[in-house]
Amino acid sequence: MNISEYISSGILEAYAIGGLSDAERADVEKNMTQYPEIRAELSAIEEAQEMLLQKLAINPPASVKTKLMHSVGPRGKAVALNAFVQWKFVAAASIFLAMFLGFLAYDYRDRWLHTQVALNDLMAQNQQVAQDYQRVNVRLDKMENDLRIVNDPSFTKVVMRGTANAPQSLASVYWNKESKEVYLSIQSMRELTQEKQYQLWAIIDGKPVDAGVFDGNVSGLIHMKEIAQGAVTFAVTIEARGGTPSPTLETMQVAGVVSKG
Amino acid sequence: MVAGLKAHDKSFLDYLYDHYSGALYSVIFRVVRDEGVAQEVLQDAFLKIWNKIDAYDTTKGKLFTWMLNVTRNLAVDRTRSKEIQKVKKTDDIDLLVNRIDRQEQTESQVDAIGLNEMLNRLPEEQRFVIDHLYLKGFTQSELAEEFNIPLGTVKTRTRLGLNELRKILKG
Repeated sequence: MNISEYISSGILEAYAIGGLSDAERADVEKNMTQYPEIRAELSAIEEAQEMLLQKLAINPPASVKTKLMHSVGPRGKAVALNAFVQWKFVAAASIFLAMFLGFLAYDYRDRWLHTQVALNDLMAQNQQVAQDYQRVNVRLDKMENDLRIVNDPSFTKVVMRGTANAPQSLASVYWNKESKEVYLSIQSMRELTQEKQYQLWAIIDGKPVDAGVFDGNVSGLIHMKEIAQGAVTFAVTIEARGGTPSPTLETMQVAGVVSKG
Repeated sequence: MVAGLKAHDKSFLDYLYDHYSGALYSVIFRVVRDEGVAQEVLQDAFLKIWNKIDAYDTTKGKLFTWMLNVTRNLAVDRTRSKEIQKVKKTDDIDLLVNRIDRQEQTESQVDAIGLNEMLNRLPEEQRFVIDHLYLKGFTQSELAEEFNIPLGTVKTRTRLGLNELRKILKG
């Protein structure tokens, strides 16, 4: 190999500039190890080039160095490794984060739905309790009222015992002769079909007077129609629902005489 | 020095930067012709030098040559990705460099004047090649293609030009 020809082709300058293909570069490197003259010439070229480039130097803004030194970690290894690894890491982190957020979203939605169901249940229960309380309150009011009537001496109690038609039946009437109020209390009377109702009668001057209808399954006092003075007997018959102007006496269930006094 | 670099001692990076960032930034800027892009490329270049220092082989040349080639390749890659028009390359680089020099430092003006004098002492053909390769950011192949000069001729003219400069620089 003619070394001076090789050198004067300018291939070493091209090598120093970085203008060679991989194959050409490998060839130069091989020759360099073989021929010290080539190695020495390259060094001279590199020196000249470096001097030239240093003369052409433009100082970059200080911020570049600050950023560079920051992006190199404290142990020295650069934090920003290579763009691909960084990209892969970011992508993996994003996917993980997305999955994690997805899980959280699912989990919270699930919990929210459960909470919603539980809340609905509780609200329903609460409403139920309120209704029960209301009902109990109404019953209590009614019972207090009933008790007041039962204990009121101005009310006369008339016990109506079962007739031959219904020997087991028993009911009472509380009648205030002054205010004409009439209340009925069922102790024991069988339930009737939907078409039938009991009807209370007051016998005044031998004539039956309508005192209102009632059903057989009511507890507590039933407020009946007003009855004026002069009733001597109260009796109950079974009539068509809604009642009738004159009693069907054959169906009489209970009857009781008003005690004098 | 190189051992310190290979051990990833941060103070060596500091040293490298202080000594070579100006020369490398100049090379990058002449290729990409945009200050913002040039600064990005410079940072990328030093990171790459730092991370790939194990790939540097002292038997294959000086550290600066290796750094220069790493840097220059990054800059050239950037112009490819940005599709920078090569036609424009010949136009306004002197103006740009002068403007930057005025912003950054005044002393390099003196150097630039000295350099111009040096370049003026080269034969026209050599000066043209050196000017395009080192001041206007062309590669040898680009120069050959653009001005229709055989690549072999570009290489010999580069050699002659650098040879002349070596003599001048050595005084």
